[in-house]
Amino acid sequence: MARWCLPLRLSMSFLALACALSAQPPYDLLLKGGHTIDPKNGIDRVMDVGIAGGKIARVAAAIDPGQAKQTVDAAGLYVTPGLVDIHVHVYLWQEPGGEAAQADAHSFRSGVTTMVDAGSSGWRTFPDFRRRIVDRSLTRILAFLNIVGAGMGTGKEDDPAEMDAQAAAKTAKDNPDVIVGFKTAHYAGPGWESVDGAVKAGALTGLPVMVDFGRINATRNINALFLDKLRPGDIFTHCFSGHREELLASGKLNPAMEAGRKRGIVFDIGHGAGSFYWYVAVPAYAAHFYPDSISSDLHINSMNAGMKDMTNIMSKLLNLGSPLAEVIRMATWAPAQEIKRPLLGNLDVGADADIAVLRLDRGNFGFVDSAGARYPGSQLIVCEMTLRAGKVMWDLNGRASQDWKTFPYQKETWKH
Amino acid sequence: METLNGPLWPTLILAGASLAFAQPQPYDLLLQGGHVIDARNNIDAVSDVAIRGGKIALVAQHIDPAQAFKVVNVAGLYVTPGLVDIHVHVYAGTGEPRSYAGDNSLYPDGYMFRVGVTTVADAGCAGWRNFEDFKQRVIDRAKTRVLAFINIVGHGMRGPKYEDDLTDMQAKPTAEMALKYKGLIIGVKTAHYTGPEWTPVEQAVEAGTIANIPVMVDFGTNRKERPMSELVTRKLRPGDIYTHCYSGLRDELDASGHVNPAMFEARKRGVIFDVGHGGGSFAWRIAIPAIQQGFPPDSISTDLHTGSMNSGMKDMDNLMSKFLAMGFALKDVVAQSTWNPAREIKREDLGNLSPGSVADVTVLRVEQGDFGYTDMYGARLKGNQKLTAELTLREGRVVWDLNGITRPDWTTLPPNYRQTGDARWDAVTPAPARRPDTKR
Repeated sequence: MARWCLPLRLSMSFLALACALSAQPPYDLLLKGGHTIDPKNGIDRVMDVGIAGGKIARVAAAIDPGQAKQTVDAAGLYVTPGLVDIHVHVYLWQEPGGEAAQADAHSFRSGVTTMVDAGSSGWRTFPDFRRRIVDRSLTRILAFLNIVGAGMGTGKEDDPAEMDAQAAAKTAKDNPDVIVGFKTAHYAGPGWESVDGAVKAGALTGLPVMVDFGRINATRNINALFLDKLRPGDIFTHCFSGHREELLASGKLNPAMEAGRKRGIVFDIGHGAGSFYWYVAVPAYAAHFYPDSISSDLHINSMNAGMKDMTNIMSKLLNLGSPLAEVIRMATWAPAQEIKRPLLGNLDVGADADIAVLRLDRGNFGFVDSAGARYPGSQLIVCEMTLRAGKVMWDLNGRASQDWKTFPYQKETWKH
Repeated sequence: METLNGPLWPTLILAGASLAFAQPQPYDLLLQGGHVIDARNNIDAVSDVAIRGGKIALVAQHIDPAQAFKVVNVAGLYVTPGLVDIHVHVYAGTGEPRSYAGDNSLYPDGYMFRVGVTTVADAGCAGWRNFEDFKQRVIDRAKTRVLAFINIVGHGMRGPKYEDDLTDMQAKPTAEMALKYKGLIIGVKTAHYTGPEWTPVEQAVEAGTIANIPVMVDFGTNRKERPMSELVTRKLRPGDIYTHCYSGLRDELDASGHVNPAMFEARKRGVIFDVGHGGGSFAWRIAIPAIQQGFPPDSISTDLHTGSMNSGMKDMDNLMSKFLAMGFALKDVVAQSTWNPAREIKREDLGNLSPGSVADVTVLRVEQGDFGYTDMYGARLKGNQKLTAELTLREGRVVWDLNGITRPDWTTLPPNYRQTGDARWDAVTPAPARRPDTKR
């Protein structure tokens, strides 16, 4: 909580003073008694969170409910920054077909407030994606721009002529509020055209590249990718897929993974329908190789399979042995930093009040990988509430509501 | 339409018996030890359910597991027909903002299997002018079984400009389209009309009469020129459906809190009362008194759309749990979500577990705990039970498996396994994993 700058601190003090003078409660909403996990600020204990004007106003051990218009009892629950899922596919084309999912239909119910579309659009299609999806969604949607101008699933992903780094960089510069990096995906090779193009666009803009490495061969392998081609800060997604020799035939983790990590390559889950296997994840954990960030690779083929949603994947890593605070970090502050959005994924005073309230259930659960193999677990993360810019977007058990018998039913209005 | 009549059963059972001699495993999948609730066949007891070729083969107290290719233990869970939600909005993808033939709609597959729904009826997003676009864009591509009420408005549910246009409400072309897609278009919808005329209802009923299908009414603005009491006692036919029945927006309850007598009278006539919860059509202060006064719903439906999915409605399981919280028995809630709506839309082939019926099956868990359920206004009713879909089968194959109860433990598999399912019972990972260059 120490890092917010002096002008902001002063303005917040004036705000509090002004509120006191006008006798209005300074907080619109108070999350009371929850166990707050805010990895950026090193918070991992019971703390109250006060929200005003859609922003985090105060995080403190005890905030007086008299100071809030509304108080939600979060005792026994975990209060975290809104989850940041940096690998989704939410570009629903105008034409039928495609594999995208609807952002708002999947985000809030699993605690996600920010989604980063991973290359569904390229520079040719981004304006359409922005107009029809990004600008109309309640979820905060950012994007890795595909280095392929036509975007993903268009039959152009193996066409080097579509990989125009200059055009991609220009589109990114024109849309700095949405585009956070570049994506290369599904390239069959044999060369490095797609990776080189994406890295070039990244260098032109100072943005990271996310790699779905497509098909490997004798020379096009992850060792060369991590050590020669990518820059520190670039993101290797699908890191536990095993499709690209992440695990050697011996069952040992490929040394390229540790070498890449040392160079600053970022390792992201990108679970999807075909990119997460227990036989890779378990040995990786045994070798103390943990992912940097958790992402879903949400699309129509993963949403009903082993992936399901962010809280399900987070539960998987929890049951693999990552402590809860680590799992939260991997789904909030870590991905926010990876995409260079330091205003997201934390509960800094003054930050947008994007918040997830999570419940940790104990019981007998099962978690399924991309092949349908089951891993038993005893912990399950459930999303109770999601706030976006201070507004309740999801409230599983009506914690922000009041009993119907005492509810001030107002004159009904026609809303449909 | 695979309608199965009583006299056919012995033939099928005989066919099953002869197959048993020909094959070592006559059943593809056996759900073992669950509590079966099947209103069509009056079953509410622990039973095994065997599936073959995508159809229900046998429901019996004990079925030999050696007879099945795949056995799944569902003890402690409830096995029901796949849920049938007759009021949803799924004409997504056109890009039209603020339109149920566009951005207000959801793609069905992301919202159905995970809550045990296998059949939905779109409630009037498309009219005769755009039904075929809806069909090729959504219906033909969905894994969910998508049926439709066709809107009496030719342009469908595209907003007030279209939905208040009396000239675009024509019974004849609507009925023609319904007859062209008989069985797929299972009804006619009228909705959202703000004017004083009866025209939308009359045209919808006329279309329904020509095509021999029911009409579903969202009665729009409450107007004294066309009171709800007259709608349900005079204008609608037996079998027509009044949805949003607990909204309270059209005098369902009078000022003293009594159920409108017209609703009882209409029920006697055979008019159907459906929940259609939605974003603005379900209030505790209406539903609880109405039910206490002896007016339960005939069917439970969600009115799922982008405005209701994250609100008090949430999804079919949440909505069914609300009725548990109001004191209904699980078997009644299941009937209201399976066999009742299937009959209402004249699809008696669905919503049941009769041998020979398509094996759309839902396995539900009843969780005990402290839960809260909110209505359209954000008022809460507490409950101590909650339904969760553990497993969903569509045509005999797994399309949702919350806790992997159909799946093998990973430590029992060979190194570098890539596949665990089999197309005989699995639609999630039935084939080898796609090549890295084609998968995401």
